[in-house]
Amino acid sequence: MSTIDWIVLCGFTGFIVLFGIWKTHKTKNVDEYLRAGKTSSWWVVALSIMATQASAITFLSTPGQAYVDGMRFVQFYIGLPIAMIILSITAVPVYSKLNVFTAYEYLEKRFDLKNRVLGSILFLTQRGLAAGFTIYAPALILSVILGWDIHTTIILMGFLVILYTTIGGSNAVNKTHIFQMIIITVGMFAAFFMIIAFLSKDISFIDATHIAGKMGKLNAIDFSFNLSDRYTFWSGLIGGTFLMLSYFGTDQSQVARYLAAKNITQSRMGLLVNGLVKVPMQFIILFIGAMVFVFFQFVTPPLFFNPVETNNVKSGNYSEQYINLEKEYGLIHQEKKNLISEMINKNSISESDYQKRLLALEQKGNEIRDEAKSLIKQNNPSADLNDTNYIFITYIVNYLPVGLIGLLLAAILAASMSSTSAELNSLSSTTMVDIYKRLIYKNGSDQHYLRFSKIATVGWGFYAIIFALFANELGSLIEAVNILGSLVYGTILGIFLTAFYTKKITGHSVFIAAIISELVVLYSYFFTDIPFLWYNVIGCILVFLISSLINPFITAKSKVKTIS
Amino acid sequence: MPEQNKQVEDTPPFLGSWKKIYSLVLIELIILIALFYLFTKAFS
Repeated sequence: MSTIDWIVLCGFTGFIVLFGIWKTHKTKNVDEYLRAGKTSSWWVVALSIMATQASAITFLSTPGQAYVDGMRFVQFYIGLPIAMIILSITAVPVYSKLNVFTAYEYLEKRFDLKNRVLGSILFLTQRGLAAGFTIYAPALILSVILGWDIHTTIILMGFLVILYTTIGGSNAVNKTHIFQMIIITVGMFAAFFMIIAFLSKDISFIDATHIAGKMGKLNAIDFSFNLSDRYTFWSGLIGGTFLMLSYFGTDQSQVARYLAAKNITQSRMGLLVNGLVKVPMQFIILFIGAMVFVFFQFVTPPLFFNPVETNNVKSGNYSEQYINLEKEYGLIHQEKKNLISEMINKNSISESDYQKRLLALEQKGNEIRDEAKSLIKQNNPSADLNDTNYIFITYIVNYLPVGLIGLLLAAILAASMSSTSAELNSLSSTTMVDIYKRLIYKNGSDQHYLRFSKIATVGWGFYAIIFALFANELGSLIEAVNILGSLVYGTILGIFLTAFYTKKITGHSVFIAAIISELVVLYSYFFTDIPFLWYNVIGCILVFLISSLINPFITAKSKVKTIS
Repeated sequence: MPEQNKQVEDTPPFLGSWKKIYSLVLIELIILIALFYLFTKAFS
């Protein structure tokens, strides 16, 4: 990496960390620390919601996902705008009226303490692990690019985020989110325009789009109803809506963003602007991935995108076989390149014969890649064979001009820091408000709870760092995080929906239903092939149904609590 | 008076009512799905 890239990267990152500390180091009380004093405008809430969701994983995995699997991942977000509307109508007024610090406080007001504790513990478990992933992802890139030891990188990255989040709390999280979103947006558009500029040397933008389409990379919508297919319109619409309802309505890392708003209007607008912007934003990121795929039709890509594993196999017993595969892959790539050039010159991109030949060559190339992966596995049985996360970064580091590499890395770092800081802050608030203050030490002063919140932030930061140190072999990161979320989100959402929409169901009924539903979800994960998006639906509906069914038998013994 | 203030506070900053804002979000989603479908068909 050049000196200019280093200056850009360190400049942006250093500015955000110092700005966060400078603007918020005088945070005086728990309300400022956990809800930014309820002073945020809708546009700050909107940026903060987007920055929290847009982790480095969004930047790393999503374009790679389009490169490998096409753009169908965009369907995952179709339920998001619907979820934003439902939450604006239901959750926002309730949270606002009750003036809560966390979403789980509401569960005690509506049901009882055990449901509040259950919701908090499910959140702490899931989000604590996810925080580890969000630190791990950019650390992985930097370690690959700079040749740093990944453990040192994780620790350094984690410390930077812990520093400003601990000092400024929610206030620091919201203020830094504004700049982080600016860098992320600029970085994303810079990558998009650069790739279009590079491609224009060989083909026009429209031709490039046609090539991506013919090779199955622009499959944005698939209306087929197939339960075993992970990303279809229906799984996105139904499963995605449930997942987003749960993530934005019950996950404290997001709820805290709109609880920091000045009033109910600002909270609602923040959520709805996210509903307007998120789907097109994901489409653009995926489209960048599809264009990276076209770019690598003109420039020979590495046989395997993870340089560490490639070097390992090349220096091991399978070196000769691997080099032969590389040569074979290069020849197929050349043939594919010639065919594409012929298609463009003859203006025959739409001819199905060309498409068949192109797809056959692509298939051959994929078979060689599979052989290469098999060699990598034989050489190192613990090697990660999923190179999706390395595709986009390979393009950035090797083909973007000086300065832009630094900017893109700063954007990736900003995305990681924005998510991690929101996660640490929400983990700290839930630990303090729902566990410590509620169960352990009820009569402390505001300063005592402020100090405890800071200690909890540091504690969760260390926990995330330790988890990140062991997160090496979990496949595509974005999927791992979503799968992890889906294992508990459905149950949490079921508890909240029962709370919002029913009046007679008691805390005992919903608690028993939640335990049974969570066991069913875990069974589905370990023993069935049901795609993970459906766990949200299963968990949620089961909580609702089981609690409704058993409630008449339990209600007689317990008290019904309602909130008007 | 407090009721009036609450009413003013709960009005969206543009389009005048929440129903219109919700409709805008839904209409945009429907348009995006239609565009994605056409995009998939046109380039496949």
